[in-house]
Amino acid sequence: MRSFCPRGILKCKAGKYPRQQSLGRAFAANGALLVALAFLCACCTPGYAAAPTFTVGWSVYAGWNPYFYMARSGILKRWADKYGVVIKVQRFDYAASLDAFVGKNIDACTMTNMEALDMPAAAGVDSTALIVGDYSNGNDAVLARSGLTLAQLPGKRIMLVQKTVSEYLLERAFEVNGLGAQIPRLRLMNTSDSDLVGAFLGDRNNPAAVTWKPLVSQILAQDSGVHSLFDSSKIPGEILDLLVVRTDILERPDGSGVRFAKAIAGAWYETVAQLASGAPAAIAGSAAASGDSVASYKDQLRTTYLFSSPKLAEQFAEGATLRQKMDLVRQFCFRHQLLGQGVQSVDDVAIRYPDGSVQGKTNRVRLRIDATYMQMAAQGKL
Amino acid sequence: MSATGPAFHLTDIQGRPRRLWTQSLSWMLFLVGILLYSQFSVARHKENPEDRVIPSGAQLIQGVKSAVLEQPEEDDPLDATATTWQRVSHGMLWRDTVSSSRRFFISLLLLIPAILLGLHMAVFPYAEAFFLRFFLFFDKIVALSLLPILFIVFGIDEWSKIMLMVIGVGPTLMLDTYNIAKSVPREQVVKAFTLQSSSLDVTYRVILKQILPQIINSVRLNLKPLALFLFAGEMIASTDGLAYRIAIMRRHMGMDIIIPYLLWVAALLFAMDALLRFANRRLHPWY
Amino acid sequence: MVLTAIRRAEKTRVMPRKRVRKNPHEAETEIALDNVSVSYPLASGAQKTVLHRLNLDIRAGEFVVVLGETGCGKSTLLRLVLGQEFPTEGTVDVDGKRVRRIDARCGYVPQKYALFPDRTVMQNVMYGPENAFCGWTARLLPSFWRFRKSLRAEAAAMLQRMGLRTTDFHKYPQQLSGGMQQRVAIAQALLMRPPVLLMDEAFSALDPSTRASLQQQMHDLWQESRPTILFVTHNTSEAILLGTRLIVLKPHQEGDQESNVLLDMQLPQSSEPLSVRKKTRDFEQLREHVKHCAFRESDFEVERRAVQEMPRRVEASE
Repeated sequence: MRSFCPRGILKCKAGKYPRQQSLGRAFAANGALLVALAFLCACCTPGYAAAPTFTVGWSVYAGWNPYFYMARSGILKRWADKYGVVIKVQRFDYAASLDAFVGKNIDACTMTNMEALDMPAAAGVDSTALIVGDYSNGNDAVLARSGLTLAQLPGKRIMLVQKTVSEYLLERAFEVNGLGAQIPRLRLMNTSDSDLVGAFLGDRNNPAAVTWKPLVSQILAQDSGVHSLFDSSKIPGEILDLLVVRTDILERPDGSGVRFAKAIAGAWYETVAQLASGAPAAIAGSAAASGDSVASYKDQLRTTYLFSSPKLAEQFAEGATLRQKMDLVRQFCFRHQLLGQGVQSVDDVAIRYPDGSVQGKTNRVRLRIDATYMQMAAQGKL
Repeated sequence: MSATGPAFHLTDIQGRPRRLWTQSLSWMLFLVGILLYSQFSVARHKENPEDRVIPSGAQLIQGVKSAVLEQPEEDDPLDATATTWQRVSHGMLWRDTVSSSRRFFISLLLLIPAILLGLHMAVFPYAEAFFLRFFLFFDKIVALSLLPILFIVFGIDEWSKIMLMVIGVGPTLMLDTYNIAKSVPREQVVKAFTLQSSSLDVTYRVILKQILPQIINSVRLNLKPLALFLFAGEMIASTDGLAYRIAIMRRHMGMDIIIPYLLWVAALLFAMDALLRFANRRLHPWY
Repeated sequence: MVLTAIRRAEKTRVMPRKRVRKNPHEAETEIALDNVSVSYPLASGAQKTVLHRLNLDIRAGEFVVVLGETGCGKSTLLRLVLGQEFPTEGTVDVDGKRVRRIDARCGYVPQKYALFPDRTVMQNVMYGPENAFCGWTARLLPSFWRFRKSLRAEAAAMLQRMGLRTTDFHKYPQQLSGGMQQRVAIAQALLMRPPVLLMDEAFSALDPSTRASLQQQMHDLWQESRPTILFVTHNTSEAILLGTRLIVLKPHQEGDQESNVLLDMQLPQSSEPLSVRKKTRDFEQLREHVKHCAFRESDFEVERRAVQEMPRRVEASE
């Protein structure tokens, strides 16, 4: 793995950047140590191999499990070979995959539209969404006990992973039902997803939780007193699952980034086509990615709107509704300071759409939704 | 080195560095750490001015400011006329520190019975026979894995977190106390009985009194595991606390808040350790 | 309610006053060992007998010195009297009552760890009598503070008698030399006025000159107030110089019918200083005789081994 600092220092040492005063002074102060360090970093940085290598990070989720099958089945290898690149697929915990992406340890990563905004984009890492894979169509749900309604939830403790799509879903549930004024009265308890099921089921006094599948299914299956109040099928297309790549990778002068994008898009739509046609190998292979049973995975797929053809994905990405939906998400992020403590305006983290229009300040584009590769796939040009 | 005095090389065990030297050397690694950090930070910010992974000095100062002065967003906002003190006491750092400290000190209080049980195990043969084997085994259970059970027994609120800390650190402290108390020479116990002590006299006024400084040292060593369990508990399920804030900030890489928080926690633990060490020296001059 | 309970506690736990003998001319039996045997089961299944059919009758005011080579059971004997160990057979009585646990009937001066490290010299010495006066529930009563005041004076006198300076009274044990610590330990034990004073190699860890001065002090002390002392040592000169009665033990051999007591003799007493007496011919002869009986190896060899094994022996037998 590349450590996260070296390139900056190496460039400085090589003199590609004009030395700034402070930098020069700092070097003088601990020169020897830094030389040693730079040497160490140089050793860690892999030398340039014949074929450029790209690493894709993914985490367990119904819409991302196919990456596992894609790598396993050889589909990816075939496409990578076609474009003369090497693509490695690596599984992470979700939070860790985002850290790795922001730290520039991996080149592309699966994430939701919300995290794409508040992690890489807000941290100044210019990123491009290559593939709009799916949207949550009931995967995320607000659960409550003993017949509670949404209107009764304010003031009661709600367990969820805060500052994620769960909280977004909860707020949207209130807004959609005309209870927007109640949102400040919500009492949220930040609960790790690994312990949420046990903690919620362990005490029958816990009134409500917001979470995603398969946790939702586990809770519903184990306690018949729990019912779903609201789920993401009521807000279709707002919780998007993307494959995001760093823009500077795409813009590599040798064109290897573009070749990588073409290869992964080609492989993805071949995989998705298999899934959509219900090929048992594809479904079993994807279920195996998270250790789920085929039945459970199929259940998750039912509530996941997979863009089964590049055509559909392209249409969605170029459609006008995406803009409105992204606006809801970015306003949420801004309201919750997810764009950073110091960000003064929601427009400081701008989004560029396939038609070239920009949501926010044009000089601060951080997230680009790029339909080029989906379009190429749709036109069969890959 | 003076010309008349003995000359020692830097690597000589017999060396006697001057006070000025030892003082400046002891700050050296702090300085190196700060320099390395700023080096990385500058380098990263050159590449990406908005980098949040290694915040720059200005970002950190801004982060400290908002940590100290800004309210946690789950609270009702203060009106604009609030004084600085009001803003600090309603600020997220202060509020988180208060709620985390409360958990910390309650569990510290609950550790006192554990220490006393260890003492009794060492002194009373029947207590030893009854408890020792069980706690030797219980100590080896990884407390974090008990969490789902703790949630069921103690609920999701404060007590499950506090009990996590107590169960995580209690047996260790208990067994340490047991070992310390066991190593008190047998002569002391015999002597105490010939001086007409009761069993309780021997336990509390002879043994506990003379091992108290060692127990306090043991508590000092266990401060960090205690903080670790506190953090684990708060990260898993909570509505406030220092680790809760760090967990939330991690969601969007708020390192400008996380780093001040970590330093603050380190400073608090350091202060607590220093306080106990100082108390030990003052209360037990014979130790 | 509470107050009456405290008062009652105060009444029942009275400081032992100076003991009055019923008949001053006939000294009563202080320690009685009747047909005592001690044996341990070994790991091999066999029995290791340490003491065998021991009959011993120690009268009040005797200074009994127990001598013998390593493993002869002299420390076991002392622990039996103390109540730290119990006979496999036979009975041990101290002060007319059966020994069932460690209690205040015996004063105890071990070789090491005699003092509480967390208390000053004064606190160490006063600890026992305070306990004897009342339990810690009654410590707020004015009578306790009055008692404490008089006790303090008594303790100071005792410490001074043992050769401590007033400036040392508020030092902690570790600030004192080994000899000083043992002086304090003796004072601590004596202030309880126990029926019996047990000294377990009390001077063995001290350097020769300190040891000589402590021996002299012990000798004077006994001359003055005649307490009953059971003194265990492996040093022949020390035994002969201090004791009024010498008991030499031998290790029990498998199949031996008689008891461990090899020698039980009265020792001549004189009032001259020990350093003078040490140089007399009589003393020299007696020493050679006892040594010849007691030790099969040279004294030097025994002493060396005894010192080496001392701390381990105490632990191993527990």
